[in-house]
Amino acid sequence: MFPRIDGSTKVIVTGITGRAGRQHSRIMREYGTNIVGGVSPKAEVKEVDGVPVFVNAVEAVRETGAVACVALVGAMQLLDAVKDAVAAGIKLLVTPTEGMPVHDAVEALELTRAAGVLWIGASTPGMAVPGAAKLGFLPHDSLLPGPLGLMSKSGTLSYEAGYRLAQAGIGQSVWVGVGGDPVKGTRYAELVPFYAQDERTEGLLIIGEIGGHEEEDFARVLIEQRFSKPVFALIAGRSAPEGVTMGHAGALVHGNHGSFEAKRAALTAAGVTVFASLGELVAGVRARL
Amino acid sequence: MYLHEHDAKELLARYGVPVPAGCIVGMDTALPEVLPSAGPWVVKGQISAGGRGKAGIIKKVATREELDAGVRSILGRVVKGRRVERVRVEACVESSTELYISLLLDAEAGGVRVIVSLRGGMEIEAVAATEIRSEVVRLDTIAIADCVVRLAMGYAPAAAQALREAGAQLANAFVAAELRLIEINPLFLRADGSWVAGDAKVVADEGALERQPALRTLVETQAAHYVESAVKLEHGFDYVVVDPAGEIGLLTTGAGLSMMLIDELRANHLKPYNFLDVRTGGFRGDPTRLVNVLKWISAGPKVRIVLVNIFAGITDLGEFSRLLVEAMGRVPGFKLPVVARLAGNGLAAAREVFAGAGIALYTDLDEAVAEVRRRLEVA
Repeated sequence: MFPRIDGSTKVIVTGITGRAGRQHSRIMREYGTNIVGGVSPKAEVKEVDGVPVFVNAVEAVRETGAVACVALVGAMQLLDAVKDAVAAGIKLLVTPTEGMPVHDAVEALELTRAAGVLWIGASTPGMAVPGAAKLGFLPHDSLLPGPLGLMSKSGTLSYEAGYRLAQAGIGQSVWVGVGGDPVKGTRYAELVPFYAQDERTEGLLIIGEIGGHEEEDFARVLIEQRFSKPVFALIAGRSAPEGVTMGHAGALVHGNHGSFEAKRAALTAAGVTVFASLGELVAGVRARL
Repeated sequence: MYLHEHDAKELLARYGVPVPAGCIVGMDTALPEVLPSAGPWVVKGQISAGGRGKAGIIKKVATREELDAGVRSILGRVVKGRRVERVRVEACVESSTELYISLLLDAEAGGVRVIVSLRGGMEIEAVAATEIRSEVVRLDTIAIADCVVRLAMGYAPAAAQALREAGAQLANAFVAAELRLIEINPLFLRADGSWVAGDAKVVADEGALERQPALRTLVETQAAHYVESAVKLEHGFDYVVVDPAGEIGLLTTGAGLSMMLIDELRANHLKPYNFLDVRTGGFRGDPTRLVNVLKWISAGPKVRIVLVNIFAGITDLGEFSRLLVEAMGRVPGFKLPVVARLAGNGLAAAREVFAGAGIALYTDLDEAVAEVRRRLEVA
């Protein structure tokens, strides 16, 4: 379900010759991620900071044996990058790009599901196994090896929460930014079985926000699968106006659909401790872990 | 992007969906000489939210005098935090039957949820599950249209025929315009078998505007009604006025953290003015975004202070702080006090820049919020 990620996992970066691609490849390598290649359809250069560049992921995987891919390309190019990674046989695909057209995301989801690719994103800050490797943008100041599984729609809110928890001595086992888009590769609920069997994980925190019903689905799956570790949640957007997209394409409330109250009720009924503020979150998690 | 009913109907009409004759009346425009019909009419306040009937901004009127009064009484009303700035005046449909049809992008299934019912006119949540027919199909025009045909089987012939026609037209619109939701409720079915979309709710995809010229033009020409989408399209970031009477202008990055900050401020009885995800990663050494944001925030009639909150994962705070101070100098007459909370990369450099500019700097968000409260109470 979740390919093993550590400092030896071979990773390629699509769009490595771009500004963000180059910068984040460097930062990921500093953290310990084993980036073995890059992809640039134009491939005007043979290497970037010593990393070989290939014209597509198929060739990159054939030459390097990479199993994971981080795609740092524009929103309109993302579907092509997903197709390329799927064709290459990539097992784990992380796509931080914001603003992927939703209909493209549906097609990408069909393709990755059919091929058995674990797709994280789009609009995700990425994922990390703290102390080992990170795929994406998660800031090093917020990463600390520890017992808390963390899933988040928002990047920045999870950075802040992760940072405060780390300051309080509570680190993370596996951190997955599922992303803020409505249609996405991996939703909270799909990772419940992973966190249930993951021995490093002693508790689970989801950082959610208004819109969609992903938090409600997550709550239902916790009950169905009798998830036995403590679960915590922080949900942003309880004071957002209806009918306005709050930054994330997925964060849109219409009627009661996607509202804060609906989410809090579903999570509470599943035994999840829902916090109203960052301060309460840190105190509450510390008391339980 | 939640379209006003008027724009939703104009969009759907291009795909052949019949809609009642209607016209738009704004704050400064008079009713046209030639009305859409001889009456009666329905006056419908246009906002990007549902529940308009319950909120009293949909009125049926019979005479020209009632029409004038109805328009005047609805324009300017504030519903769900949004001011009604235009109304659609529409020919009233004398109906015998109200049906329901919707197409919704189902995020979990990765397909389209098709819903039909003979019990239109009510909120779909209020209709008994046994009276709703629903199925999820692939995001594909033919698959959606075929699904409606299947779901309508066994309905009375006229209702089934109307739903089939609507299904085919809506499927085309949904796929071609890359929509997230179309809901026609009610779909009025007349005794002669003809039908018309009584109401239309459409949610479009902001991410697709770049390649949807008609929707893009709508956002550009109706920027006053789609403020948030227009800002995003023109400037590349998200800005939403959440409370026109708000006192605290927020200069923040990151959607989730910005939303959470608004929640926490409100829980503490403080009044934030705006939501902002300014995307510091996209500055590239240019203060223009910050100049724009500071201008917009200072235009808030009750705004008395600016709170900056940046958790810098990647952003260099030294550069950010220099750009902010430069931007403040570029906004004519900018005098609002600024309280900043910064954390992360480049903090030491930022501390120096802010000290020179007289900006109070905190590394703890709660302390920064406490300082904002103190300043508001003193003033």
